[in-house]
Amino acid sequence: MFKERCVIEENKKIAPGHYSIRLRSSKISKKSKPGQFVQVLCSDSYEPLLPRPFSFLDVDKNSFSFLYQVVGKGTKILSALKRGDEVSILGPLGQGFSLKNAKSIVLVGGGVGIPPLYHWAKECVTKLKVSAKNIHVFLGARDKSLLLCEKEFKKLGVHFYAATDNGSRGHKGFVTELVGEHLDRTTSVGGKNSAPDVVRMYTCGPTPMLKAVSALAKKYDVSCEVSVEVPMACGFGACLGCAIKVKKDDGHRFAIACCEGPVFQAKEILWD
Amino acid sequence: MGLNLETQIGKIQLKNPVLVASGTFGHAKEFAPLIDLKKLGGIVTKTITLKPRLGNPPTRIVETPSGMLNAIGLQNPGVEKFIEEKLPYFRKLKIPIIVSAMAYTVEEFAEVVKILDREDGIDGFELNLSCPNVSYGTKSGSARMFAHDEKMIEEVVGAVRKVTSKTLIAKLGPDVSDIARMAMAAERGGADAVALINTFTAMVIDLKTRKPVLANKTGGLSGPCVRPIAVRMTWDVCRQTKIPVMGIGGIMNANDALEFLVAGAKAIQVGTANFVNPNASIEILEGIQAFMKKNKISNIQEIIGSVKNT
Ligand SMILES: Cc1cc2nc3c(=O)[nH]c(=O)nc-3n(C[C@H](O)[C@H](O)[C@H](O)COP(=O)(O)OP(=O)(O)OC[C@H]3O[C@@H](n4cnc5c(N)ncnc54)[C@H](O)[C@@H]3O)c2cc1C
Ligand SMILES: Cc1cc2nc3c(=O)[nH]c(=O)nc-3n(C[C@H](O)[C@H](O)[C@H](O)COP(=O)(O)O)c2cc1C
Repeated sequence: MFKERCVIEENKKIAPGHYSIRLRSSKISKKSKPGQFVQVLCSDSYEPLLPRPFSFLDVDKNSFSFLYQVVGKGTKILSALKRGDEVSILGPLGQGFSLKNAKSIVLVGGGVGIPPLYHWAKECVTKLKVSAKNIHVFLGARDKSLLLCEKEFKKLGVHFYAATDNGSRGHKGFVTELVGEHLDRTTSVGGKNSAPDVVRMYTCGPTPMLKAVSALAKKYDVSCEVSVEVPMACGFGACLGCAIKVKKDDGHRFAIACCEGPVFQAKEILWD
Repeated sequence: MGLNLETQIGKIQLKNPVLVASGTFGHAKEFAPLIDLKKLGGIVTKTITLKPRLGNPPTRIVETPSGMLNAIGLQNPGVEKFIEEKLPYFRKLKIPIIVSAMAYTVEEFAEVVKILDREDGIDGFELNLSCPNVSYGTKSGSARMFAHDEKMIEEVVGAVRKVTSKTLIAKLGPDVSDIARMAMAAERGGADAVALINTFTAMVIDLKTRKPVLANKTGGLSGPCVRPIAVRMTWDVCRQTKIPVMGIGGIMNANDALEFLVAGAKAIQVGTANFVNPNASIEILEGIQAFMKKNKISNIQEIIGSVKNT
C-alpha cells in the first residue's frame, strides 16, 4: 500500500458518462492485482471529504488505469481533470481474485463492475496461462454503448456473450439468463456434461446481479467469487465502515469489505 | 532552534501533543506501511468492551457536507481477545497507549478497566462515555448515554478511579447543553483529564426510500464541519476546569490543531482526517513544528491556552 500523488497521463470519455483515466505510478502498478482497488482523493479541499474507491482496469510497468462512471460530486471533479494534473492515490488496496485449478472460467459483469473483470481476464490469459478458449465473459448493460471493455475482451480472444435491456446487442434481457443457460450446458448439475465440474465464476456489478449470480453458483454447485461494492470511508481497515454480513459458524459476523474483500467467496456472503 | 513539544496528560508525559482518536486508527497496524507510528504523541485504541461486539449492520457510514456520519456500533473483539491479539503490537511501539473502554453499567466499566489494568503496555484509559451508536439498555428501556448525565459521569469515573491508578480520561459527547458541567463532573469523579468531543448524533434520510441511510438510523457526525463547535467547547471547558483537556473534532491540518491548543487543550486527537489522508497526524505534527519555528516559539506550552479573551 502506497500513498502517492500521481500525474494523470490520460483521462478520456469512452462511453456516455464513462471515463477511463491512466495515472503514473510504478510502485502502485507493480503491486496491483486484479480485483484490488485504489482510493482517489478527488479534491484537496475536503469537499467531497472522503476518498473514492475505484477498481483497476489495467496496469503496465509505470502506470495504471481505472474506468469510472460520473455519478456524483467526486466523479464529476475527476472527469474535469486533465493530462498533467495530479491526484492523491492510496493503493493497491484489498484482496483481489484468486485462481484455483479451473477448466473453465465464467466472468459475469455489469456496469462499472466490468473493468476489474477485464483486468482479471487479461491476467488469466497473459500471466496465468489460461487458454482464452476456456474463458467465457458475460456482460450486461442497459444499452450496447455501456457494454464496457467489449473490444478489449474480444481482443483477448475469449468467448463473449452480451445482454442488453433494450436488445441493442445480444440477448434482450438479463445477463444472468445467459449465464444460467451456459451453466445448464456445461456443468454436471446441468446434466448435459458428464465431466466433473471445474467451472469457476467471478462476478462484479450491481448488487441485484451479484445476488442472482450467487444463486446460480449455488444451484449449479460451482465456486464463485464476488466483488462487492459498499460505501467506504478509509479503504484500508481503519474505520470499519464498509461492513458486509458473512457466515461465521452457525451465525454471522460483519466482514470489512475494504481489507477482507472486496472479493469474497459467494457462499460466504449472507445477502439480506 | 530546539523545539520542545512535550506536554502532560495526567501521569502520561507526551513527547508531542498529537494523538490519534479512538475508532479512527484501526489497531494502528493498518497505518504502519504508511507512517512512522513512533513519531506520534500517542494512540487511543478503538473502544473495547467486556464482550466482543459484532457492530451494527450496514449501511454504517455516509458522507455529509465536510463531514461524515458513522454508526459502526463499536465492533471490537472484546477485552480478552484485545489483550491477546492486539495489545502486543501496541506495546512494541513504545509510545503512550491509551485504551478506550466502554460498558453498559458502572460495574461493568470498572470490570473492563480492572482487567486491562493488570496488563503491561497500557499508559492510561479513556472512558468512552459518549458513543452515540449503541443502546445503553437501561431498565426503563430508554437509551441513556453516560455523558448526558452529570451524576452518572461522576459515578462511573469514581468507580473506575478505584480500580486503576493509571491516567484516567473521560471522553465527553457534545449533545449536551453545558459541556463544562459534564467536564466538572468528571473532575469530581477523579478523572485526570477529559477528551472532547465525541461525535454529534445526527441523521441523513434517503429521499428515494424515505428511510434513514444508516441501518442504525442515527449516527455520529464528525469531520471538519464540527470543528468550530469543538473549539468552542474546548475553550469553555478549559476555562472552567483544572484538569487537562484533549481537544478533538474535525482537525484536518496543523492550523486546526493549533486552534485547539490556543483555546487551552494540552493535546489533540486526530480522527476522521486519518481516513482522508493516512499521513494526516504526522503532517499535523510537522506543521505545528513549522509554525513554532516561524513564530520563534521554542516551547509548545507558550501556545497552549494563549487565547486572548479580550
Ligand atoms: C471496491 C470498490 C470498487 C469500485 N470500483 C469502481 C470502478 O471501477 N468504477 C466506478 O465507476 N465506480 C467504482 N466504484 C463505485 C465508486 O466508488 C462510486 O461510484 C463513487 O464513490 C461515487 O463518488 P461520487 O462522489 O461521484 O458520488 P457521490 O456524490 O458520493 O454519490 C452520488 C450518488 O451515487 C450514489 N453512490 C455513491 N457511491 C455509491 C456506491 N458505492 N454504490 C452505489 N451508489 C453509490 C450515492 O448514494 C448518490 O446518490 C467502486 C466502489 C467500490 C466500493
Ligand atoms: C468511524 C468512526 C469510528 C469511531 N469510533 C469511536 C470509538 O470507538 N470510540 C470513541 O470514543 N470514539 C469514536 N469515534 C469518535 C472519534 O474518536 C472522534 O471523537 C470524533 O470523530 C470527532 O473527531 P474528528 O472530527 O476528528 O473525527 C469514531 C469516529 C469515527 C468517524
